[in-house]
Amino acid sequence: MKKTIEVLGMVCPFPLIEAKEAIKQLNSGDELEVQFDCTQGTESIPRWAVEEGHEVVTYEQLGEASWTITVKKK
Amino acid sequence: MTITGIICGALLGFVMQRGRFCLTGGFRDMYLAKDNRIFYALLIAIAVQSVGVFALIGAGAFEYSASQLPLFSVIIGAFIFGIGIILAGGCATGTWYRAGEGLIGSWIALAMYMLMAAIMKSGPLASFTTAVRKPVVGTDSIADTFGINVWFIVIPFVALVAFIIYRELKKPKVKIPQLKPKKTGLAHILFEKRWNPFVTALLIGLIATLAWPLSAASGRIFGLGITTPSANILQYLVSGNVDLINWGVFLVLGIFLGSLFGAKMSGEFRVRVPDAKTSVRSALGGLLMGFGASLAGGCSIGNGLVMTAMMTWSGWIALVFMILGTWTASYFVFVRPGKQRAAASTAVNA
Repeated sequence: MKKTIEVLGMVCPFPLIEAKEAIKQLNSGDELEVQFDCTQGTESIPRWAVEEGHEVVTYEQLGEASWTITVKKK
Repeated sequence: MTITGIICGALLGFVMQRGRFCLTGGFRDMYLAKDNRIFYALLIAIAVQSVGVFALIGAGAFEYSASQLPLFSVIIGAFIFGIGIILAGGCATGTWYRAGEGLIGSWIALAMYMLMAAIMKSGPLASFTTAVRKPVVGTDSIADTFGINVWFIVIPFVALVAFIIYRELKKPKVKIPQLKPKKTGLAHILFEKRWNPFVTALLIGLIATLAWPLSAASGRIFGLGITTPSANILQYLVSGNVDLINWGVFLVLGIFLGSLFGAKMSGEFRVRVPDAKTSVRSALGGLLMGFGASLAGGCSIGNGLVMTAMMTWSGWIALVFMILGTWTASYFVFVRPGKQRAAASTAVNA
């Protein structure tokens, strides 16, 4: 299963807080895609993912100040 | 010579934008994530500046003498400032550089911050500010309190910071996924690569040191400062008094421009509009920041980075209480809503 959340216009740390909430609802092996536009999130979200032991499947910049990251729950 | 402020500010804005240097986030994460990295980074910037500025003073480049310590107003002001920066989503400097990234929420916070700082410094609350800052408890200089040379404080502090950094660097590293590089060489380093926060802090310490002789040459004997210059802009705009335009005003405008340049070149600039809730929170945060910084006599830069490096009581006391302010606000903004959500969902499931 894959879930997508859009946290556009949210400033740090809200994108990360939303991601943490969303991943709680998922089962191990499910994927969570986070679309965000907070610059500081480019540091905090991938860091959180690896520190929690999730796998980062894709991580890309989509356009001007717009990013997407997909995390597979451990 | 006031124009050098814009160069110093642009360097600072650029380094902070590219280095993602956010003190608000750093103070918050000490509590939320038990992560002290940005706090340690701040200590590096303080240590570098302390050695640099006291060396310059020793060499006779300029003179600086600490004033008296308004203990009560520093404690109250710094604590309120700490609450404000969590609500605004960035400290005074952070708000200036995020405004350069195109965040309208930061524009709102900035406008309210300037407004409140002007009200507190020269508006209807000026006499209130003066009254609260009046009771003082002796000299602000830590070295003078103990009757010792300032280097007896600076050198042990630098040794302590070096020890902390050594211990941090020895820790095993987690590999953080990076975006696929699209640029090469210098362009990659300047406009794409993730900067190590300790390297960013080293650069900020050097810029903060450079600020002193540049500012002193224009007749303003101080380092980086954000609150008074931000208030000056508004005071100038409504009074037309050119005397208000000093080195500090060019400094803060430079932060905006440097960040705008960094963000544009890295594909990180876009006008981003907050929702109603974030807008209200940003406005309230800006007001509290302006109120707190005026009472405390500085923000996270003026007190937290500069007055700490000058080894003053007000700098270090302000730093402690602004961190406590961010933790208090973090509890109400981040921790408690999460607990309430969790409680609500258990109630539904049961």
